[in-house]
Amino acid sequence: MIKYLVKRLLLLLPTFIGISLITYAMIRLAPGDYTTLRAGLQGELKAGAIGTEIIEQEKKLYGLDKPVIVGYWDWFKRLVVLDFGVSRKDGRPVAERIAEALPITLSLNIISMIIVYIISIPGGIVSALKKDSLYDRVSSLVLFILYSLPSFWVGLLLLMVFSGGDYLNLFPLGGIISDWAEDFSFFDRMVNIAWHLALPVITLTYGGFAFLSRYTRATMLDVINQQYIMTARAKGLSEKRVVLVHAFRNSLVPLVTLMATILPGLLGGSVIVESIFSIPGMGMLAFEAILARDIPVIMAIASISAVLTLLGILIADILYGVVDPRIRLEARQ
Amino acid sequence: MELRASRVLCAGGIALALALGSLSACGDFSSVRDPRALYIHLGSEPGHLNPITSTEAVASSINQHIYETLLDRDYDTAKLIPQLAESWTISGDRLRYRFRLKKGILWSDGVELTADDIVYSFKTIKDPNVACAPLKVYYIDVREVRKIDRYTVEFRYSKQYYQALEICGTIPIVPKHVFGDGTDFNTHKNDRFPVGTGPFRFERWDTGKRIVLVRNERYKGKTPDLHRIVYRIVAEPNIALQMVKKGELDVMSVRAIQWVRQTNSEKFRQGFYKLEYYLPTYNYIGWNAARPLFADRRVRLAMTHLVNREAILDKLLFGIGEIVSGSSYLYSKGYDKSIKPWPYDPVKARKLLAEAGWRDTDGDGILDRNGKKFAFTFTMPSGSKFAERLGTIMKEDLSKVGIAMDINRYEWAVFVQKLHQRDFDAVTLAWSLSWEDDPYQLWHSTQAAGGSNFCSFKNAEADDIIIRLRKEFDERARIKLYHRFHRILHEEQPYTFLYCTPAQVVVSRRFGGVKVHLRGLNYLEWKVAAIDD
Repeated sequence: MIKYLVKRLLLLLPTFIGISLITYAMIRLAPGDYTTLRAGLQGELKAGAIGTEIIEQEKKLYGLDKPVIVGYWDWFKRLVVLDFGVSRKDGRPVAERIAEALPITLSLNIISMIIVYIISIPGGIVSALKKDSLYDRVSSLVLFILYSLPSFWVGLLLLMVFSGGDYLNLFPLGGIISDWAEDFSFFDRMVNIAWHLALPVITLTYGGFAFLSRYTRATMLDVINQQYIMTARAKGLSEKRVVLVHAFRNSLVPLVTLMATILPGLLGGSVIVESIFSIPGMGMLAFEAILARDIPVIMAIASISAVLTLLGILIADILYGVVDPRIRLEARQ
Repeated sequence: MELRASRVLCAGGIALALALGSLSACGDFSSVRDPRALYIHLGSEPGHLNPITSTEAVASSINQHIYETLLDRDYDTAKLIPQLAESWTISGDRLRYRFRLKKGILWSDGVELTADDIVYSFKTIKDPNVACAPLKVYYIDVREVRKIDRYTVEFRYSKQYYQALEICGTIPIVPKHVFGDGTDFNTHKNDRFPVGTGPFRFERWDTGKRIVLVRNERYKGKTPDLHRIVYRIVAEPNIALQMVKKGELDVMSVRAIQWVRQTNSEKFRQGFYKLEYYLPTYNYIGWNAARPLFADRRVRLAMTHLVNREAILDKLLFGIGEIVSGSSYLYSKGYDKSIKPWPYDPVKARKLLAEAGWRDTDGDGILDRNGKKFAFTFTMPSGSKFAERLGTIMKEDLSKVGIAMDINRYEWAVFVQKLHQRDFDAVTLAWSLSWEDDPYQLWHSTQAAGGSNFCSFKNAEADDIIIRLRKEFDERARIKLYHRFHRILHEEQPYTFLYCTPAQVVVSRRFGGVKVHLRGLNYLEWKVAAIDD
């Protein structure tokens, strides 16, 4: 087991270098660069703001005149000491910007993921047990309707109806904490934040139920028709034990595959939800960085999510062994 | 009564969402906001507030309250007036500009502003290690800035230039004792903690949420009535307008559709002023004269005749805006009002195209000349709704006279690169200008190679006027040159000039003394009208 782990961990390094090198090369080779972009605003150029010579001079300042591979090496050398560099936009360390955005995105994602899992998995199990019943049909219809609603529309609608003031005035119009609430006690602050997060969490979750519950239903159906389930029933086990211990555990294997995507998924924010609800999270950070060709920020976010993806895959592989003892991680000697 | 109802509902909302009942966190915004503060909407957040390295419009809109320059522009006439400078003299050869500073002006940290700060700011702009390329361009011809005494500085130009006074007078000035501490200027910690001499001083910045300025008690000029200016960052304009309606924002620049459709109710008009003013910007369709297709003046003129500018203005912009016929600011003296924009006239366009040799000889419905079809690509930045709809309308109108047009959208960064490489047939874009704009960068033939003359406009007479203009210090003679230049542009049609569209702003009626000037709104003169309870 340990040998396997060490081997897998060592393999992560070249994979990571590959991913980050390709990412870096892609940004550098993509048309447009940071310095030239500064000459204009979005949709409007400032007359006379461009002088080729001066722009070349400024490119040198940011190392944009160097070949891609040299630029990558410079970046990698700094990464080794965990220095992500300085954001072009505001001159602050990239780590600081990520540290600001990450907690917000993480809490939003964790809350909505927990809600999605808590509702979808049991829902999917029940659907599988009562296959083709009225419940099964109605719930899948409802979930697919929700799944098809675009989030920018739902988000705006929720805000207009529940916090616009024209109809109801139950929630704040975006943001994550009230200006005046920052000096409150910890508990009150949490309540205030939760009050702000209610609508964004709804917007983030409603579309997620369909996929996971259908997925659970399908894997559960696979298992429930197996002979060992029949055996379990024949042994006279309670239905609860049959479903939760014998059937559900076996249906977990495909769900574990999903786990691999959770880790990097936690990091990513939705640009749409963040912009509608004025939440300064990871989605906007990454989106703006890409539009502005802010290489240090793009590289930092890309490499963090690369590492998390690789770890997620590794963890999923290990978990396979846990949920299904037949899967061996190393060949027997 | 209403307030109580909303409190109850609000509490219900919390209970609903959390099954927690803490009333303390719940509150109506208007009851806790500072009535002497002005809440302004910001659609995007600036990276920092350093006036030298920042290029963002949002940053300069905030900085104008924090930093001052030697000269300012009058709000109504846009003429240069003293700000930090008390007086100035210009040498006979117009190469040396000497400014005498007002005494006793303090930076908001209490240190006095002196000639050293101006010399330092100039040296910083010239420093190759400072990333301020768009600003550096303006100071190429300034040889040096010399300190004469503690309160006097002299700018030395290497050649005569009619805008020298403005360029010297509006140089961004940063405090030497703060920025000159030896750390990297581009990432200096005070980039996000500005120290200025203006009527407001920086108070706090909550990233992604708001930037707060507070009245600068060391400011020597007239004290503004507002105690604070709070910029709230809200990316989504629909939400921002809703916040305006709820009283959470006092000032917002609205979109045309919001202006026309969402701000006309009786209730809204009672609570808000709706103000309009024209700033020096215009949008246009540029025809790349370096491509054989648009090298011919008659073809460009025909294209202009084929763009139904009035109908497009009505359809796409709700009729809000003015059609322009030249490059100068519509309301400046340099704009020749006697030149009327070319009318929409497909018949004349067809004639012009025929004169240029474009006829449909093979009967396939598309014009051709020497076996080549009249087909081109219209390049636009993606995300611009106006450009997209304009493209669709043009495509249809042009197909009626036998011109095939394709549309290509590019992300902004790619779009800008295409412009730099001159890799396009036709583009649509907007320029933002200064009050009296120097046409050199945009229109001189030398700028077709590396400057902003993307469309490779080349005209010997225009070149000559542009050069003479730069050395002409008599305003009346200059206006004459501007008018002649305007006429050339009108005849040559390097662009199809489109519209100058107004800034449209809604302002809460809580404030009095709200006036629209030529330059727009001046928060300093606003009075807090009524403090409602």
